[in-house]
Amino acid sequence: MSAIAHAPHHAHAPEPAAPEEENRRDFLILATSAVGAAGVAGAAWPFIRSWSPSADVLSQATTEIDVSTLAKGQMITVPWQGKPVFILRRTDEQIAAAKQGDSEKLPDPAKDSERTQKPDILVLLALCTHLGCVPQPIGTGNFGGFLCPCHGSHYDTSGRIRQGPAPKNLEVPFYTFKSDNVLVIGKVAG
Amino acid sequence: MNPIAFLRTVALAAVLVLPLSARASSGGPPLPQQNWGFLGIFGQFDNAALKRGATVAVQVCMACHSIKYIKFDQLKQIGFSDPEVIALAESQSHTKKDRMLSAMDPTSAKDSFGVVPPDLSLMTKARKGYEDYTHAILTGYLTDADRQLVDRVMADQKLDEKEMLELASALGVDAHQPDKVKETLKRIQEGGNFNKYFPGNFLAMPQPMSDGAVSYSDGVENSLKQMAHDVTSFLAWAAEPTLMERKSLGVNVMLYLVVLTVMLFAVKRRIWAKVEH
Amino acid sequence: MSKSIMEWVDARLPITELVKSQTTEYPTPRNLNYWWNFGSLALFILIVMILTGLFLAMHYKPDANQAFDVVEHIMRDVNYGWLLRYLHANGATFFFMAIYIHILRGMYYGSYRAPREILWWFGIIIFFLMMATAFMGYVLPWGQMSYWGAAVITNLMSAIPVVGGDLVVWIWGGFAVGDPTLNRFFALHFLLPFVIFAVVFIHMWALHAVHSNNPDGIDPDFKKDGIPFHPYYVIKDLYGVGVFLLVYCAFVFFQPNFFLEPDNYIPANPMQTPAHIVPEWYFLPFYAILRSIDFLGSYSKLAGVIAMVLAIAILFVLPFLDRSPVRSFRYRPLSRQIFWIFVIDCFILGWVGYNPADATRFNGALPLIAVGRTCTAIYFGYFVLLWFITAFDIEKPKPLPKSL
Repeated sequence: MSAIAHAPHHAHAPEPAAPEEENRRDFLILATSAVGAAGVAGAAWPFIRSWSPSADVLSQATTEIDVSTLAKGQMITVPWQGKPVFILRRTDEQIAAAKQGDSEKLPDPAKDSERTQKPDILVLLALCTHLGCVPQPIGTGNFGGFLCPCHGSHYDTSGRIRQGPAPKNLEVPFYTFKSDNVLVIGKVAG
Repeated sequence: MNPIAFLRTVALAAVLVLPLSARASSGGPPLPQQNWGFLGIFGQFDNAALKRGATVAVQVCMACHSIKYIKFDQLKQIGFSDPEVIALAESQSHTKKDRMLSAMDPTSAKDSFGVVPPDLSLMTKARKGYEDYTHAILTGYLTDADRQLVDRVMADQKLDEKEMLELASALGVDAHQPDKVKETLKRIQEGGNFNKYFPGNFLAMPQPMSDGAVSYSDGVENSLKQMAHDVTSFLAWAAEPTLMERKSLGVNVMLYLVVLTVMLFAVKRRIWAKVEH
Repeated sequence: MSKSIMEWVDARLPITELVKSQTTEYPTPRNLNYWWNFGSLALFILIVMILTGLFLAMHYKPDANQAFDVVEHIMRDVNYGWLLRYLHANGATFFFMAIYIHILRGMYYGSYRAPREILWWFGIIIFFLMMATAFMGYVLPWGQMSYWGAAVITNLMSAIPVVGGDLVVWIWGGFAVGDPTLNRFFALHFLLPFVIFAVVFIHMWALHAVHSNNPDGIDPDFKKDGIPFHPYYVIKDLYGVGVFLLVYCAFVFFQPNFFLEPDNYIPANPMQTPAHIVPEWYFLPFYAILRSIDFLGSYSKLAGVIAMVLAIAILFVLPFLDRSPVRSFRYRPLSRQIFWIFVIDCFILGWVGYNPADATRFNGALPLIAVGRTCTAIYFGYFVLLWFITAFDIEKPKPLPKSL
């Protein structure tokens, strides 16, 4: 049993290899390091992905509502992705008031026809654009619409901001009519 | 490592694995091994079988058992269409977003059977024998022919040698232990639910289905054995819906690791080339 | 530029000096065999366990009414949750495999002998902490085995005279294993791995003070027979990690339930004990020792618990029991023989522990409890015999090489 093949060293790598062998070694080490680094990056992916919404959360990405039972002037609040959504079947007067608003000077101009798919069904994300409170039901505010009790923002019968500190109209969430009476709020995720 | 040291290592490894693989059996006849196509590294679920199995599960099992970790909606993953899922859900007075819960509530189940029927979501993982056990239980009840033999013995009629053996096989007992046979027969006669693969042989669940219990729409023969195979496959899917994802990722990971390990070995050899060790 | 930055840092935090003295110039014997891979491998597995455990904890709920469901939620709904859980559950198994090989390697090559006693003791402390961590982790899925394993193991405390009964109630936080127990076990299961990590640091500190032992067990001349840890053992350890990952991932992806008990997929039921409860495989030898003390009447329970604790604690005095002038069993024929008997004995104990307490073989002619008792005697006999043959010079060691 002799020592390292060549000259003795105190805790040092043995004699450097010949240059061309050195190059080959460099390439091999470089390639292995690259493959190893790719593996570490790949192994990180499941950990990162485990934070994304899980299947049971995604299954609540959409909410289905049958609006056939809504009478004219009736409003319901439904949860969608953990947030409240107002669905109102508007009366003819409410529709007329909203249309009339189109020609008024609005802080956040928008046509009522752009905010609804069917004139009588109004769908609104019920979070005040000021600081996120839930406005009160239809008929509580000026302009026949919604009043946010926190800081006195008034939205009209199209959910547009008309008076008070809120900067924007109430958001209209993405929704589609699956059939005449069945509304799907949200997009299917994943 | 010298050869003797290597052999010793192999022997040790064998000693380590043996007691682990020798699963303690609970007595009774061994579970018949079925051919499950979804096992093994490259095994795949057969969606047609899973769909038939889901139909059996909904029409038969769910009368008493829930499969609570699966929602009807998820059945789309095994090839059902949206209207089919809605139909299955509505047949159990559920909507497609609901979990597959039995219509029977646990209290009334306990009143009629003495136990709450266990949830089936994890059944194929929760018993020794796994899928084979579920299949064995479903097919381990007495057939009509077996029952006739039982009745004849209890009426003190003589059976010939061949019939004796048939009966012993149906009961899963040793024909040479007449006392044990007699006692088992007595309990069957008193109305116990006999199943030769159930530990202890008598269980709360009466035979859930027999040949032709569920009609299949795809032309496959709806024999008891076929239905048991289908519903067990379905329950194996329900126990681990991520099984296919796991195995396909696994194949890629293993390929990668083989490459990496070979490369690391090459680097190791090269770096150590100059060291005598 | 980068050189001057490094100088600036080194003047304030001598990183370059640390890396040099602990890796690129840290001398290691050049003849370490592959059994020496298992220490760094265990550290690698510890890191895998901490990472997977951390991410599992982000989804888990330590609530007796939700724990079982939430584990299934992780398995089914969380993205790659099944992977995290199977990595973690199987990681425990492979952690213990690595540690057992690491301990046996130390025993065979005399790595516990002077001047490595403190290094050895901290290793045993790590082993104790691992057992506590693994036990509490196994309770968290709240299945039948979780529940009854927790019930049986915590009940061991009741063997302690006078205070035992009160102690168990205190540990449970109730009159049986329940929600409070699960909560505190989760908190401790989260904490202990970091304690293990700290003790591992001390273990490595002690190692770097006295340097690695080697298969010949002699003090090497590092000038002649030393090679630096980096790159030699870094690459060798990495290669070992690659081989390990192949085995580990084969189980995780293709047989993830091989080491798990089917009963643990049944929700915990305090009203019904499974027909046959077994601990995880890594506790089986100690479980067999516990059960084998059944002949002391009303003292059996306490004696069993003491024997079980002693089976590990005796490792603390191993450095003083072994009086041989030679470290490595390579040059100690008698010690080597009793060592292999000891290893085989541990496997038999494990097998006895796996079987029901009243199991027999050969149509009842061989009750396993008798096998368990014999093997328990052999287990402790190893330590007595090792002391005996070395203290009275019964063993004649073979001549040692002058250098590696």
